[in-house]
Order: sequence, then C-alpha cells, then structure tokens
Amino acid sequence: MAVDSLKICTVCASNNNRSMEAHKQLRDAGYNVKSFGTGSAVRLPGPSIDKPNVYDFGTPYEDIYQDLIGQSCRKMYEANGLIHMLDRNRKVKSAPEKWQNNAYAGKFDLVITCEERCFDSVLEDLMFRMYNKEDQNDVRQVVHIINIDIKDDNENALLGGKGILKLVNMIHDFRQKKKEDYEDESDIILEDQMMGILTEWQKDHTHLPTLYSISYY
Amino acid sequence: MSSAAQIKPEDIIKHLDQAREVAFSNPESYPAIFRQVLLFTNNPNNSIQLWCVKFIYDSFINNTILNHSDKVDLAIDSLDALFTLSNIKDLPLFLQIIDISCIIFKLVFNYVAENDGCNQVWSKLTELKNSLVNKFQSNFPLDPSDNQEHDLSRNIITKIELIKFIFIVIDYQSKSTLINTNNGTPPPATTFSLNSVSPTHSLIKYNNMEYESTVLLDMILKTFNYDILIPQLISSILNHSIIIMRRKPQYSSKILNIIENYDSISKYQSNYQSLEQFKLSKKYVDRIFRIFIHHCLRNNLIPNNYQNSLTKKAQTLQDRGNEIRKKNIFAIEEPNLKKRKFEGFYNPTKRLKVVDYSNLYSLNETNNPLNTFNISTVPQFILNNMVVNALQKSSVSKLSKALEIISDRYINALNTAGTNINSQSATPTFRPPIPNNNINNNNNNNGYQPTQQYQGQLPPPQNQQQLKPYEPPGGYDYTTNGNGNGFGKGGDEYGDEEGEEEDEEDTYDPETIYTLPPPKDLSFQDKKDQINIIIQNFFRLAKNPTLANKVDVDDDEELKIKPDDDENVKVNKELTKIAIKSWKKDSWIILLTRLATRGMRSLTGSSSDEDKISPDDKINQELSDMIRNSIFEYFLENIHGRIDIIIKWLSEEWYSEKVFNEELEIKKAVKLNQGKSVKSLPPIKTPIYNKWAGKVLDAMIPFLEPSDRKIFIRLLSDLPYLNEELVGGIKSLCYDPVRIKIGFLSLQFLIMYRPPVKQACLNILKELSESDQEDLKEEAKKLLDKYN
Repeated sequence: MAVDSLKICTVCASNNNRSMEAHKQLRDAGYNVKSFGTGSAVRLPGPSIDKPNVYDFGTPYEDIYQDLIGQSCRKMYEANGLIHMLDRNRKVKSAPEKWQNNAYAGKFDLVITCEERCFDSVLEDLMFRMYNKEDQNDVRQVVHIINIDIKDDNENALLGGKGILKLVNMIHDFRQKKKEDYEDESDIILEDQMMGILTEWQKDHTHLPTLYSISYY
Repeated sequence: MSSAAQIKPEDIIKHLDQAREVAFSNPESYPAIFRQVLLFTNNPNNSIQLWCVKFIYDSFINNTILNHSDKVDLAIDSLDALFTLSNIKDLPLFLQIIDISCIIFKLVFNYVAENDGCNQVWSKLTELKNSLVNKFQSNFPLDPSDNQEHDLSRNIITKIELIKFIFIVIDYQSKSTLINTNNGTPPPATTFSLNSVSPTHSLIKYNNMEYESTVLLDMILKTFNYDILIPQLISSILNHSIIIMRRKPQYSSKILNIIENYDSISKYQSNYQSLEQFKLSKKYVDRIFRIFIHHCLRNNLIPNNYQNSLTKKAQTLQDRGNEIRKKNIFAIEEPNLKKRKFEGFYNPTKRLKVVDYSNLYSLNETNNPLNTFNISTVPQFILNNMVVNALQKSSVSKLSKALEIISDRYINALNTAGTNINSQSATPTFRPPIPNNNINNNNNNNGYQPTQQYQGQLPPPQNQQQLKPYEPPGGYDYTTNGNGNGFGKGGDEYGDEEGEEEDEEDTYDPETIYTLPPPKDLSFQDKKDQINIIIQNFFRLAKNPTLANKVDVDDDEELKIKPDDDENVKVNKELTKIAIKSWKKDSWIILLTRLATRGMRSLTGSSSDEDKISPDDKINQELSDMIRNSIFEYFLENIHGRIDIIIKWLSEEWYSEKVFNEELEIKKAVKLNQGKSVKSLPPIKTPIYNKWAGKVLDAMIPFLEPSDRKIFIRLLSDLPYLNEELVGGIKSLCYDPVRIKIGFLSLQFLIMYRPPVKQACLNILKELSESDQEDLKEEAKKLLDKYN
C-alpha cells in the first residue's frame, strides 16, 4: 500500500462514475484522495436520454441510491450498472461534491480530471480564483492538473481508474527517488520530469488521451 | 551564538523545538522567540537552517496565532535573514523562502506604503526582491548544466515558484484598473492597489514602480520566445497572466500580442525530449492557450482590437485539438517536425564510472565506437594537426565548458579515490540528450540537419551565467539601491536571433573562461623560505651521489629516474620522460641560474640606478641573490673542481643581463626617437654580472696555487665579459713571488686573446713596470715592450 504525502483529487462531471471509480482505486491503494464534479448538477441516466435523473451536488449517494431503486426503471438501472455504481459510491464517501465549491477541502498537489471539458473547467475556475481570491495570510500553491479522457461508462471507468492508479503510482515511485543517487538534482524534481512520466504513461495508454497544465491556488 | 556553535546541531534543534512549542502555546512570547530564531539562520548547519526556514514559514503562512501587526513587525525583522537565506543553494530551503517572501513582500510593501520615510526597510525589501527576481533566469539553486538548452528545462519547480513571486511584485508595483466591473465579481477587499499609495510617496514612486513591473513582465514573457516547448512554464505564466488581464489593462496588450503570434508548430523538438514528449507538449500548450483565450473572451477581458484575431486563434487551436483528439497522438505522422540544433555534450556526466583517462576525457555518447579507438597509434604530427584544428574550430565557451566537465570529473575521481568507485550508489545519471533516430531525416530541407551536429559546426556560445557561480542574469540588470529604482534594460534572451549569437561567439570574453582562483600572495619571508627549499633541493641533487645514481643515462644519453624502493626518490617514469626529457647531471645549475637570472627578473630589475629600483624588484633581486650566493658558496667549497659550474653560471648571468638591459635601452632609445628605429645604443652595462664575477675572482685569486694555472686561464678565457676592474685582481698575483707566473701568464693570455681588455692589461703591466720589485718590473717591461 502506497504511503504518500501527495494530496490527490479526481474530477469528472457528476462525481459519480469516473472520478468515483478512480477515487476508490486510489483510496484502496492508500493514497490521500478526494473527488469532485465540475457540472452544474449531478446528472445520471434516466428512463430515457431526455429524462436524466438530476440531483444537486451534496445529495448523499445513499439518497440517490434509494431514489433510483424506488423508481419503476430499477431493473434498467441495475442492468446499466447505475445501482452498482451508487452502491460503490456510498461506501466511498457520503455525497458528490462540486469542484467550484471545494475550498473547504484544502489544496491538492495533483488534480486528475476525466474529461477534457472538466479539465477546462478546473483550469478556468483556478484562473477565476487567481484574481478573485486574495488572502494576505496564505500563499498560492502549485498544482498539477492532468486530464485523462475516459468514456463515461462502467467498463471504461474501471479501465480509466486503473490507468489513473498506474500514473499516480509512477508519480509516487518518482517521488521516492533520493537526491544522493543522482548526479543532477533535476532528475528528481517532479516538475522537471513530469512530461517524461506522462509520455511514458501515455505510450502504454494510447486509448486514454491526456492533457496537462500547471496552475496555482 | 558563538557558544551555540559549539553545541551539536541536533541539540540546537532540540532546543529550537522546545522554543517553538513555547511560541505556539504562549502567543505573547512568540515575537521574542521568533527574533531569537532569526539569529540561528546564520548557523552554517543545513538542518538548523531548514528548521529556521520552516519556523518562519509556519509563522507567516496560515498562522492564526500571530496578529497582523506582529506579523508586519516580524516581516521587517526577517528581511536580512531572508536575503541571506535566499542565496543558500538548497532547493527545498529556497522554495520555502520564495513562499515566505510572497507573504513578506506584501506585508512590508503595505507597511512602507503607509509609512513614508522608512528608507532602510524599503532598501532591505528591494534587496530581497532583487535577490529572488534575479534568479529567474538562472538555475539557482541548481548548478548549470553543460548547455543552455538543457538548463531551460531544468529546475522548473523553482521557476514556477518564482513566477508566483514575480507576479505578486508586478501586481503590487503597478496601478490597477479593474476590467469588466459590470459582469465580473469585484476584487476582494484585501486586494492591494498601487493607486492607494500617495502619489508623493518618497520611496514608492509610480513611474519607477510601473517601469519595474514592465521589465519584470517582459522578462517573464520571454519564455514564450524559447524555440522549444516547456508546457510547465507556459501554463504557469498563462495561468498567472489572467491577473494582468483582469487588473492591469496597461499590460494586457503585451500578453495578447504574444498569444496572437505564438504558434507551437514553429517550435523545435528539444534535444532533451523524445519525439513523443514533443508531440504531447504541443498538444498541451495548444490547449492551455485555448483555455486562456476562452476564459478571457467569456469574461470580456479582451479589448475589441484583439477580439477577432483571438477568436480565430481559439478556433484554430480547437480544430487542431479536435483533429488529434480521438487519435493515437504518437501514431500521427508529422513530417515537418524540426529538432533544435544540439549544442551540448552527449556525455556531460561529472562522475566517472570507470576511472581511466579514456573515460575522463570522453564527451561522446558512452556507446560511441570512437571511444574505443586508440589514438596513441596516430602519428604525432597528425595528432598535432588534429588538435590544432580542433582548437581552432571550437568556440571558447564550449571548450571551456568541456574542460570544466573534465576538471570536475578529475576532482570527483580524486575525491572518491580510496573507495570502490564502481560500487558507488550515486551512479552517473545525467540525462543525455535524446538521439535523433526519432526525427524524420527529410527535415533537412527545412534547415535542420541533425548530422551536422558534430561536424565541426560552431555552436553558439553558452550563456555566460552558466559559467559563473551565480550572478544576476545579464538580460536583467536589476541593480540594487536604496530606492529600488535601479533598473537596467532587459536584454539577453533565450532564442534570440542567430546573428546575435554569432556575434557573441566571435567575442572573446575572459569571464566565460574557467580560471583557477589567483594564488595567495606570499610574504617576503614565505618567498625566501620557498627559494631556500628550491635551492636545497637542487644542491641535494648536485651533491648527493646516491641520488645522482638514481638517474640512469640511457642510450640517448637521456636521463630517467629509476623506479626505486625508496619512497623519497620514487618518481613517475612517465612524468620524467615528458617533464625533464633531457635531464643531465648538471642540469640543475642551468635551472637554478635561469631561475635567478630570468625567473625573477622584472622589467626594471636590472637598473643600475639603485634609486630607481622598485620595492618588488628589490625583493626579487634579493631572492635572486640568495641563489647566486648559494652557487657562490658551493663554488667556494671546492674552487678547483667547480670552475665549470662557475663558468656556466656567470655565462648565464651575463647573457641574461645583457639581453635584458639591451632591450631596455632599445625601448628607451625608441621612446626618445619618437618611435623611429634606433641605429646605435650606448654600451650595455651588466652590473650584477660584474659584481658576482668580481666576487668569484676575488675569492679565487687568494687561493690559487701555482698548479692552478690551467683552470685560472680557462676561467679568464671562458668568462663572457671582463673589464679593467675585473682583471685588476690579477695584479695581486703578480706581486706574489710564488704565483707571479700565473699572474703574468694570465695577463699575456688576455692581451693575446681578449682584445677588449688588452688595454686594461697593458695598463696593469705599465703599473707593474713602475714597481719597486725588480723581478716584477723586469717581467712587466718585457711584456709591455712585446705587446705595446
């Protein structure tokens, strides 16, 4: 089990499927992890494509779970994995959380988004915070934001979660490197080698396109 | 503090931990404890320094124990310590210093804004600011690598932390005008604005502040001009630039112009990134630009004159991103990718895996077959030509960097001598450049020719900063003065036009050369001691027959020192071959006399006018005289057997002095003739020779035996110069009835074979002919009649 001071969070649109699967896998591996959604609300598949189940962020997974199993399309939700997903989620944390309101959760070293528009939202939100937040008592912290594009379904969430775990493990292993073992200190600076790590990971995960940026908050 | 220095660092840290506990549990004592801790920042121990920095960090960042006014006071008190700490080469420490400075800068700037006239505080704040800002273009606290390209992508963590600090400085030192106040949220009440500082403030002058901000922003934005892609830096700057877009409309056009003209396609693949990495970098950078433009457009932060072009730009970037979105980015063919010209070394490691000369000097890739070629098989003259050609073709900076690497390897090998170097845990891992095999060779038509890298092409010179321990970068002359107004112009930038680089290449700048530190000046006594040691060593060689026997004459009559069991006389045979190739048993006298006559002579050294001799020359002359005296004494020990030594010495003495003084006379005459050539010179004086030749003759003559006739005549014959005074000594021989024959024989010899002193000898004969000693008178008259 990895023990790492790295504070990680995973982000998808509704904080239910992709970010939660990755959250679970990272948590099980021993990492300090949280997860969020960047959407305006939690949207889950409904009886038809134009009738999604919409909940506010903060609605407990348990409530959503109970709501869905109480609906007439319960069988459908069981068949498409929705019930299983919520059952998993309620064992991981209490409720989906919104990225834009996550100041209470502290700062993260690594933010992994699961969709390009989530990546854009996170960066734009951090830009907004950059000029809209001024704390004389605090200093902005560097954060690595990585997007790993994962299709929003059960199977891909699982594969994506594994990919995310692999990447975090690579970063974790990198951080274990000792200065004394290297001639050039640059070889153990994560920021210097992040592109190399991402490239190595991407070579093995060509089906999971990436994006990357450094930001502050 | 002095007593604290005696205590073990661990014990000091224990005490500091206790003090910290007291500070956190008793807020009233916090400021006093803090000030005590500041004293420990001067401790040279790294653990103590780190402890102190962590304490300062915890005191300013998210600290709820200290109140605001205490923090301001302590911030002011910390300025000196922070400045000192900001120059310590320790990465974790330096990163914390940047964070602390972000808070301190705001606190103290506010304080100065509200308290006009605190010049000293302002001066210290400026000093700290400059110390940090000036490090942005360096690799501090890391050492520079072997080339600039590599350094651009090294130490990114420090650069992105410094970007944070620099943007705070820009924000504080420039007027704010909130853009789009209608749609946007107003800035938090705590946001500082230069507008609120009195326009008549004696220290914070609007124009100076704005100018500094402009220069700082320009310096940061130069990153976009790099000809390689570093997404970490680009994203850091763009994400910070949003502050400018929102609050500083006066600078927004600088940023927008860059965004308008920036194109990742025009950038080169770095030699320190793989093709895959380069492709990803392009994708990442494009996306960051797109997000930035979208954010600005959505929040109406872009002036009308830029809106069309940037909307188009965003669309182009979006299309580019969509095109590759669902593809395997590594499989996409991009025939036009260009790789940057390589300027570094393929093997720049400073740690030797295998300690031998081949590895010491090799800067090629470790698997290059050339490394196994035995160059000693190449004939000497070809080698000479190769070396001369290579030296002519290589740039001074590159050559000095190469020598620096080799020097470091040498030092490292020496330092690790005695330990098993192969079992070192710290293996060389210096990141070599990525080979060219990934790049499409068709690219040569685009100006990029990978194969040219090692064909004698002259790379542009290294950044001078790389060769210096650390100095403020040349491109940002940020001089410190009390008011912080000392700004030079921004200049040197990475990725400038070729022409500029070539100009630099042709310019020999001694500052780029690695030079040994100048030796310490020796005191006169030290010099005397050293000369004594040299003299003793040479005479030990001259006198010690055992030592002389260690020297073996080979067939070529070259002397080599035999390897010997005696540790004291073990001399490296190889070194002997080179260093003293033609060593003979009396070589010591040549070396010693040349040391006395030439080695320590300065331009004014042989002036006959005592008053004109400088103190340095006097010292040199005194040291030379020590050698002369020792040779003289050596001669006195056996005047009969050591006449050859004396002749060699005095010949050297006269020749050196004559040539030297002649040069002086020529210079003097040319000066007098206003640069015209000189046809005749006054007689050249050789006072030092005359003095010592006189001493030799004076010492020898009283001890001459009748049987010494031959050696004395030989001396008179071989001495390079004689004058009336020198030959005057012979007179005394003639007065001695026992040695009268030697006397007259010598005079006769000189009259016949040394015409310059013929007249002097005749004068002596004349004098003797008037003597009251009959036999003397008769002999003198006889010779006078014969030669007059």
